[in-house]
Amino acid sequence: MSGVLTAKGLNKHYGKHLAVDHINLAIQPGRIVGLIGPNGSGKTTTLKAALGLIPFEGELKVLGFDPRTQRDGLMNEVCFIADVAVLPRWIRVREVLDFVEGVHPKFNRQKAKDYLAKTKLSPEMKVKEMSKGMIVQLHLAIVMSIDAKLLVLDEPTLGLDILYRKQFYQNLLEEYFDENKTIIVTTHQVEEIEHILSDLIFIREGKITLNTSMDEIGERFAEVMVNPDNYAAAKALNPIDERTIFGKTVFLFDGVPRATLAQLGELKTPGIADLFVATMKGTYA
Amino acid sequence: MNTMKWLLKREYWEHKGGYFWAPVVVSGLLALLTIGSMLFASVAGSKGGFHLDGHSSISLQQALSSISASEKVEFAKGLASGYPAVAMPLMFTLGFVVFFYCLGSLYDERKDRSILFWKSLPVSDRDTVISKALTALVVGPLIAVAFALALSLLVLFSLMVLAAFHGLNLFGPVLGDRNFYLVIVQILSFIPVYVLWALPTVGYLLFVSSWAKTKPFLWAVGVPVVGGVILTWVNALAGSPFVLESYWKVIVARGLGSAFPGSWLGQVAESNVNINPDNAVSVLLANTYGLLGTANLWIGVAIGLAFLAGAVKMRRYRDEG
Repeated sequence: MSGVLTAKGLNKHYGKHLAVDHINLAIQPGRIVGLIGPNGSGKTTTLKAALGLIPFEGELKVLGFDPRTQRDGLMNEVCFIADVAVLPRWIRVREVLDFVEGVHPKFNRQKAKDYLAKTKLSPEMKVKEMSKGMIVQLHLAIVMSIDAKLLVLDEPTLGLDILYRKQFYQNLLEEYFDENKTIIVTTHQVEEIEHILSDLIFIREGKITLNTSMDEIGERFAEVMVNPDNYAAAKALNPIDERTIFGKTVFLFDGVPRATLAQLGELKTPGIADLFVATMKGTYA
Repeated sequence: MNTMKWLLKREYWEHKGGYFWAPVVVSGLLALLTIGSMLFASVAGSKGGFHLDGHSSISLQQALSSISASEKVEFAKGLASGYPAVAMPLMFTLGFVVFFYCLGSLYDERKDRSILFWKSLPVSDRDTVISKALTALVVGPLIAVAFALALSLLVLFSLMVLAAFHGLNLFGPVLGDRNFYLVIVQILSFIPVYVLWALPTVGYLLFVSSWAKTKPFLWAVGVPVVGGVILTWVNALAGSPFVLESYWKVIVARGLGSAFPGSWLGQVAESNVNINPDNAVSVLLANTYGLLGTANLWIGVAIGLAFLAGAVKMRRYRDEG
C-alpha cells in the first residue's frame, strides 16, 4: 500500500463549477495533515470524496479502498467528524454508546466511558439537552475510542469557545494519536493547530497550492525584516509577500537560501497564518 | 445480523413515540371507553332502567338472567371469535404511524445532518434502508398487534367478570370455544400479507424521503394528486382520453394508502358467503390470503422493492450540503 490516501487527477463538478480541479495527493501513515483553504476552496469536497459521501471523477484510493465502490469496507478503518454537532438530537449518551458498540468492531467502550467520566455528560442525557461544546465532547469520546487507521476532521471545532477547542486538540494528540494512525484536519483556526501538524496542504479554488511537511517549511520559507536601504535588494530576490511594520518591510521568501537572506536583516520562520494569507491573496477580490 | 439488530433498536429508540406510545395512548382510551361504559351500565343498571321484551325498567341482573341458554351460547360464540374487533382503531393508528415514519426517516437525518454521523459508522446504506423498511413493515405491526390482542383480552375479560357479577357466567363457554384461541393465530396471520401489501407504499414513501430536498409530504402526496387534477383537466378539455377512475384507484389509493391494514379488503371479490360474528375473522383472513393469487399484490411488491433500491442509491450520494 503506497499511502493512506492517494489521489490522481481527482475532479469534482457541481454543475459547471469545478470544485476540485485535478488534484494529485499522497498522504503517508503516521502524519497529522492540515488541509487549509478559504471558504469554497474545495477542501470539504475533497474530504467528502475520500469518505465516499459524493461521487467524483479521477482516481482516489483511501487505505487501498476505492470510496465509490468499497465504502462499506473503508468505513471499518476510517472515522470522521464531518461537521459540528451532527449527533442526532433524540439520542441518549447510553444509547449512542450501545449502538456504536453494536455496529463497530473496533470500538472500545471502556475508553469512551473513561473519557466521558472527565466531562459533565451522564448516560441518560439526551443530545438535545447538551450545549454545542458538550456534543463535541461526546462525539470526540466516540471517535477516540474507535481504533481507526484514518481520522478525518472537517472543521471539528467550528463555533466552539477557546476552552473546548484547546481541549479538543490536546485530547486528540495525547490520547488518540500514534504512529499507526493518520489524521487529516481542516479548520479556519489555523494558529490553533499549527503546533500539532506534521504536514500542511494549502488548497485554493480546487487546486493544491502548497503541499509540504512542517519541517520543510522552516527550510523553504523565511520572513525577513528589512530596513529601507535594503528594500531594492530584497525586492530583487522575488519575495512572495510583503507588509510594512514600523517603517520596516517584512518580506516573505520561498526557496531563497537562508544565508543570502541573513544579509538583508533579521530572519524568522513564518507562521502558517502568515503563509496562508500570503498564498491566498486575491482569493476574494 | 448483529448490525441489523442494532439498526432496528435504533429505529425503535428514535420512533418510540409512534410505535410504542401511540398504541399505549389509543389502547388506554379504548379501554377507558369500553370498560368505562360497561361499568356505567353495570352500576346504573343494577337498579333498573333496562327495557326488554315489553318489561319496563328491569335491572341488569334481571335482564341478564332472562337470557335463555341458547341465547347465552350464541352470545359467547360471538364474543369468542369477535372480541378483537374492539382494537380496530389501533390498526388505523398503525397506518398513520407507518405513513409518517416512512416519509420522515430518510429526510430527517439529512435535515438535521445526523446522516453525517450515521455514515461515519461501518453500516451500509442498504442495511440502513432495509432496517427502516423492516421497522415499518414488521416491527411496527408486531407491536400494534400485541397491543391489539392485549387490549382485546382485557376488554373481553372485564366484560366476562362484570357479567359474572350479575349472574351470567360466560367464562366456560368463551374459553371453551376453539375460536377464542384460533382468532389470535388468525390475527397474527394477517401480518405477512400486510408486509407484502404495504411494501409499495412504504418503498415509495422511503424513496421520496430519501430524495426530497424539502417538504417530503408535499412531494409524496402532492405529485400524485396534482397529476390526477391535471389528468382531470385534460379529460374535460380533450374528451376523456384517460380512465381516471383507475388512476385514483391505482396510483392514489393503492400507492399511498396501502400502509393502512385492511386496505386490501375488497380487492378480492367475495363469493356469497354468509358473514356472521362466528366466522368473520376466518372469512377476512381467507379473503386476505386470496390476495396472494392476484397480480395486484405482486406488482406492488416489485414496485416497492424497486423504490427501496432507489432509496438506497439516493442515500448513497444524496448529501450535497
